[in-house]
Amino acid sequence: MKRRYSWLLAFMLASGAVAGDAIFAESFTQPMPKMNDAEREQFARGRGLIRQSWVIAPSKDREIAGLGPLYNRLACISCHPRNGRGKAPEDSEERMFSMLVRLSVPGENTHGGPKPHPAYGEQLNEEGIPGVPGEGRAFIQWKEVEKLILPGEEKVSLRRPEIEFRELAYGTLDDALSSLRVGQQMVGMGYLDAVSAETLESMANEKKPDGVKGRVNHVWNPETQRVETGRFGYKANVPSLRLQIASAFAGDLGLTSSIFPDENCTSVQAACKKAPSSGTPELSEKQLNETEFYLAHLELPVRRNVNAPEVLRGAAEFTRIGCATCHRQELETGKHPRFSRLSQQKIQPYTDLLIHDMGEGLSDGRPDFQADGREWRTPPLWGIGLTEAVSESHSYLHDGRARNLSEAILWHGGEAKIARDRFAGLPEKERKALLAFLNSL
Amino acid sequence: MSLPVQTHAFSRRRFVQAIGFLPLAGFTGFVRAASRRDIVVVTSYHDELVSRFEAAFEKANPAWRLRVIWRAAHDAMPMLRQPGPEGVDVYWSPSPGNFARLKAENLLRKLDIERSGLPGRLGNTQIDDADGYYAAFEVAGYGFAVNPAYLKEHDLPEPRDWIDLADPRYAGHLSLPNPARVAFATVIPDIPLQAYGWEKAWAMWSAIVANAKLAGRGGAFVTDEAANQRSIGISIDFFVAGAIAKGAPLRFIYPRHGGVNPSQVGILAGSQNPEGARAFASFVLSEAGQRLLTHPDIRRLPVRPSVYQGIGRDYFDPFAAAAAGEFSYDSKRGLKRLPVIAALFDTVLVRRQEKLALLWPKARKLEGKRAEEAVRLLSSVPVSEAQADQDDWQQIFANRRDDKQAESKAVLLEREWAEETDARLARVEKLLDQS
Repeated sequence: MKRRYSWLLAFMLASGAVAGDAIFAESFTQPMPKMNDAEREQFARGRGLIRQSWVIAPSKDREIAGLGPLYNRLACISCHPRNGRGKAPEDSEERMFSMLVRLSVPGENTHGGPKPHPAYGEQLNEEGIPGVPGEGRAFIQWKEVEKLILPGEEKVSLRRPEIEFRELAYGTLDDALSSLRVGQQMVGMGYLDAVSAETLESMANEKKPDGVKGRVNHVWNPETQRVETGRFGYKANVPSLRLQIASAFAGDLGLTSSIFPDENCTSVQAACKKAPSSGTPELSEKQLNETEFYLAHLELPVRRNVNAPEVLRGAAEFTRIGCATCHRQELETGKHPRFSRLSQQKIQPYTDLLIHDMGEGLSDGRPDFQADGREWRTPPLWGIGLTEAVSESHSYLHDGRARNLSEAILWHGGEAKIARDRFAGLPEKERKALLAFLNSL
Repeated sequence: MSLPVQTHAFSRRRFVQAIGFLPLAGFTGFVRAASRRDIVVVTSYHDELVSRFEAAFEKANPAWRLRVIWRAAHDAMPMLRQPGPEGVDVYWSPSPGNFARLKAENLLRKLDIERSGLPGRLGNTQIDDADGYYAAFEVAGYGFAVNPAYLKEHDLPEPRDWIDLADPRYAGHLSLPNPARVAFATVIPDIPLQAYGWEKAWAMWSAIVANAKLAGRGGAFVTDEAANQRSIGISIDFFVAGAIAKGAPLRFIYPRHGGVNPSQVGILAGSQNPEGARAFASFVLSEAGQRLLTHPDIRRLPVRPSVYQGIGRDYFDPFAAAAAGEFSYDSKRGLKRLPVIAALFDTVLVRRQEKLALLWPKARKLEGKRAEEAVRLLSSVPVSEAQADQDDWQQIFANRRDDKQAESKAVLLEREWAEETDARLARVEKLLDQS
């Protein structure tokens, strides 16, 4: 795919006037070039919706009303600052400002997905609108579980979270399966949406080295009423960008849409069920379309230092030790049903969008459609080197346990164990080169 | 698998659960608790600002927890007026009008927190409440976002003051937020009205609107327009300063006749958590809180002068500018008449923008008395300054959203203005036809 530079980058390169990471802070918010006026307007409106702090009904601002009755945060960007990833709390007293807890109970729902908790539903909504009790609070205790010394005497300590629920308003969560989720970066999603199901199935069927397998998570799409190929979410449990958006609006903000027409109240949440609504649905079809257009038309971040010798060496190591088997550099999109500029493009997302067994260390014990607790989607790595600039923090993996990329790699197990061990055994210089490569993405 | 652990302390939620859902009208039960940690804050600040203050405040004050309710300024008063012992603790918003209303209705308590190092005044603008019921938290200045490369490419001079923008050379190169639709823009028309005088400024605005593309709510940012498409965006400084801090090829020009809009913080009289409310108000006004305003995502102007020391020369210091006489805008005077002016601006200029854009260039090509007459007609406004300053008109437009009678009267007045304007523009067209 031909990359075009936004004004931001052009200015940066031309002037060098802005130092440090600030210049890259908006790397995930730039529009694709060559949009016409109508497209630019649609993009701007979608951006407005992503940035909007939503309002409790009733309100004079009906078009932005409908928050809750239960919700996590006020805006999409609360968990996806500058469209980047969120962060895990630093200690057991800090609130979850940009992450949440998925909940379910053993078993499956009617479509093979997680069975919602009868009292709390599919995720813990910490906040409630006036008159509706929020569901409770989740806090994290970090437990150091492993200390390693890598070649070159680099000391690494791996930690894992334990969730503590407090102030539960609808009974205990003793029987719940729970899994933490840090807000993910939201760039390149339109292209991933355009990768065909055939491409994913074909990759799943390929024979791979080092015992790597990878499979498609077949999931239910309530919009099309069909089982489809999962590609979004930490477990590839969502088949389309449109569904991902509607699902987040419903689950995180409590906004109904044509796809999720019901408020997010369980049968025991009486006050929630009686709470005022702001229309049916609260998120109009136009707003859903605008949000989808915006996220699908964000320009991909431009790589930095691509030709630096260390980065080139790191790229070679990345392939040699087996990372690229799953973090596949290049994919080709198929035909996008709505956005033609995303069709038939070669992209470099560094993912195969398949779910892989990542070992017991990362297991959350919570099945999600065909993915079991140990299986996780290969996350795209494009833009990962911009995490600090965009999010001003480092919180990797689904629960933010990894505080840097080395820790994230060292948590790999299962199908990725061989590649992980190779990384752990790399001489310091080569390990740094590999990290320099990742930071160039 | 993450193993959940539970604790079962008595909480506000358990209490609310026990009393069940009560209609929104009362907000009853929202924050009821014998002793609560929650501080309920109503704000219209965007999430980039709120999230940073939320995290920083709770880190510095672990005893308290914020519960933020977002409400646009025009939609906040019903919530803030809710009677009863429970409800909102703090109002924190760029809405001087709402603060004035809250004070007038005795809905605020005195802000009894340490305020040394906060002057409370900026140039001609009183930014704190003189009686101590609320205090300024930040100020925002108005001016022009320019793209120097674009100006050079189109051989356009840099504007230095509002009147410069009426120059026909800027036609098609301006972007202006609609003061009737975009909350932050409400003050913009009044700054030159006070600076140049009523008639001269309306004439100027007519020419500027003819030059401009109007931006509504939720659309393109003025920084998009300035950076990508048009050279000059009339704007509020923090939008542009934030974009510049992150590399946008823009400059922000504060006009010679500047104006600021203060944002304030106040504690509701009915607050059930005054201690927490004071802690929050103290934090946002503290050195640490004020310094957060300089983050590139926020980029507001702190009201604590000491913060400007050591944050870089490129950061505009409004106190230094005010000392040099740049901020003569009287915000207290403006406050009451802004709704009238916004409605007038919308009716006679914004809604007739296409016609003005068509007629102004043609009128300028006329000669002699016809030219003078055409320009006079295009420059006229159907309302005098004395009328805009009338208390009854100000009440009508201030209350139109909440009061059907006021809305009917406002619509009638707007209809009169529209008819007068259409007749006036028809006379211009006739003059042009005759030439």
